[in-house]
Amino acid sequence: MSKMAVIGFGAAGYHGAKAIRQLSPEAEIHVYSNEDPALYNPMLTTYYVKGAIPYEAMFPYGSAEEAAERLNLRYHGNCAVTGLRPETRTLRLAGGREESFDRILIATGASAIMPPIPGLELPGVVKMRTARDALELKALLDSGTVHSGVVIGASWVGIKVVEDLVERGAACTLADGADRMFSTAVFPDTAQRIQRDLEAKGVAVRCNQMLSHVERQGDGRLAAVMKSGERFSADMVAVCIGVGMNVGFLRDSGLALGRGVQVDRRMRTSCEGIYAAGDCCEAPDLQSGFNRNIGIWANAVRQGAVAGTNMAGGAAEFDGNFLVNLGHYLDYDFVSIGDSSSCTQADRHCRWETGRYFIQACRDSQRIKCINLIGGAGCGGVIKNAFLKALASPGAALSTQTVCLLRQEGFPDGFIKFLGGDCLDGA
Amino acid sequence: MKRVFVFDESKCCACSACMIGCMDQNDMDPAAGDPCFRQTFDEELDVEGGQVYCAYLSAACMHCGDAPCIAACPVGCLKKDPETGFTIYDNTNCIGCKSCALACPFGAPKYRPSDGKMVKCDGCNTRVKNGLQPACVRACSFGALTCMTEEEYQAAGSGKACSALLSRYAPKKMI
Repeated sequence: MSKMAVIGFGAAGYHGAKAIRQLSPEAEIHVYSNEDPALYNPMLTTYYVKGAIPYEAMFPYGSAEEAAERLNLRYHGNCAVTGLRPETRTLRLAGGREESFDRILIATGASAIMPPIPGLELPGVVKMRTARDALELKALLDSGTVHSGVVIGASWVGIKVVEDLVERGAACTLADGADRMFSTAVFPDTAQRIQRDLEAKGVAVRCNQMLSHVERQGDGRLAAVMKSGERFSADMVAVCIGVGMNVGFLRDSGLALGRGVQVDRRMRTSCEGIYAAGDCCEAPDLQSGFNRNIGIWANAVRQGAVAGTNMAGGAAEFDGNFLVNLGHYLDYDFVSIGDSSSCTQADRHCRWETGRYFIQACRDSQRIKCINLIGGAGCGGVIKNAFLKALASPGAALSTQTVCLLRQEGFPDGFIKFLGGDCLDGA
Repeated sequence: MKRVFVFDESKCCACSACMIGCMDQNDMDPAAGDPCFRQTFDEELDVEGGQVYCAYLSAACMHCGDAPCIAACPVGCLKKDPETGFTIYDNTNCIGCKSCALACPFGAPKYRPSDGKMVKCDGCNTRVKNGLQPACVRACSFGALTCMTEEEYQAAGSGKACSALLSRYAPKKMI
């Protein structure tokens, strides 16, 4: 009977354990988590805060204990793993105890970054990642004391905290250190449009503003003091500047690490019998050919299932990462597909504006490199599929159904041809 | 017993009776912005050699075997019905984030503005489990849309399952 360890109990850990259990009914599966509660979906925290879902819905697989019972796992809650010896696949656990396994899945996820600057410990300064963060922010907003907020970081999380504030009628300022919003995902023109549309909803957007520190003012309010010297005063400050992968405990293990654990398409690390999946790992990227992490829920689900299948003796491969982002807030949506930083002057740059859509895109003769689309997330999957198709087979054409759908949905003919719609094919 | 939708393009004239059947069955209110789960297409596409290709199609959820929308939903709304194989859902906790739409290569999940939730074709799962045809199939007068068990489909060897629908088209150069 094989003995397996899963470190971390989020989407990747859960689906890893589930895949192992499906293939190995007899396996002894130990799951370690240092989070309480575990098994929440970080993406749902802000939806709980705004009241779109009840607290329980942040846990799509039920509580950690319920999931452990369902999958017959030995769940060790509040039990941190502090080290790993790969050659014997031995885990060092909090308290110094050691335990060895046949195979190990590292699925420790990521944590919100809180930089070591003064003032972040003050009451009213919040971050947003965990179920506890969500409880804290909801309690703060429910207290009725927050009439204004500053959000640091025009990130995917930051914009959702902005939504939570705006929907409660609080005045909101969004500040970011980069020269534009969503700078890693969108072209400058798209960013400008997104910023203008957000400002029209009453949010003050301030770019090129790096946070220096937070302090309490004489009037009791908080001030986010920027390196430029500017001060943004508010009742609440949310720090949403990104996440760091939870791989600190592996630094001395000898496992190949970048920002996260390096894995191949079978989610194997550099050490035999040790796998990694989800937000803590960097998997092959289809567009660049390098490893990178694209920390989205669907990737964690897929990667966990792939790792678990392979750990249990099956054979599965992860399709590969590619950059894709979906912004959805305040009755507004935009999608970014592909890496805007891969575009060069020699590429074909296009832009379309209709009453319904704003589209900016770039491609060379063979492949689509990046697409920004405001207002068309409902067709995001169809367009994403065209992008992937061209990535897999350069010069790929669109199917008849895709062309028909995009036409019916009002996309410009020029954009459809840009996607590959100047030629029809099967599939 | 798993079911498949089968579409025979040669019998379709895009009359949209299937759409009306879908709207009726699912109590949709198009005037209020409700999206229909099934769409028909009547498009003239200019192809190479000065030809025009007339596309008459009816499309809804393909009920993919390994449906990517299921893994993409952050709340866990979607799942497979083990009996019919249809991709079904309970959108009570749907947050309208459109992650399912971003996962679907066919544009099947639709946003419903009236309640801010996503909706899609569930294959008329309840009807089928009770021995009835899906509403769109029942409404099709030309036999273009049918729904059969996997066994029936294999025996017929028609190659017209919706998931295989588009592989029959030879490349046609558009201008």
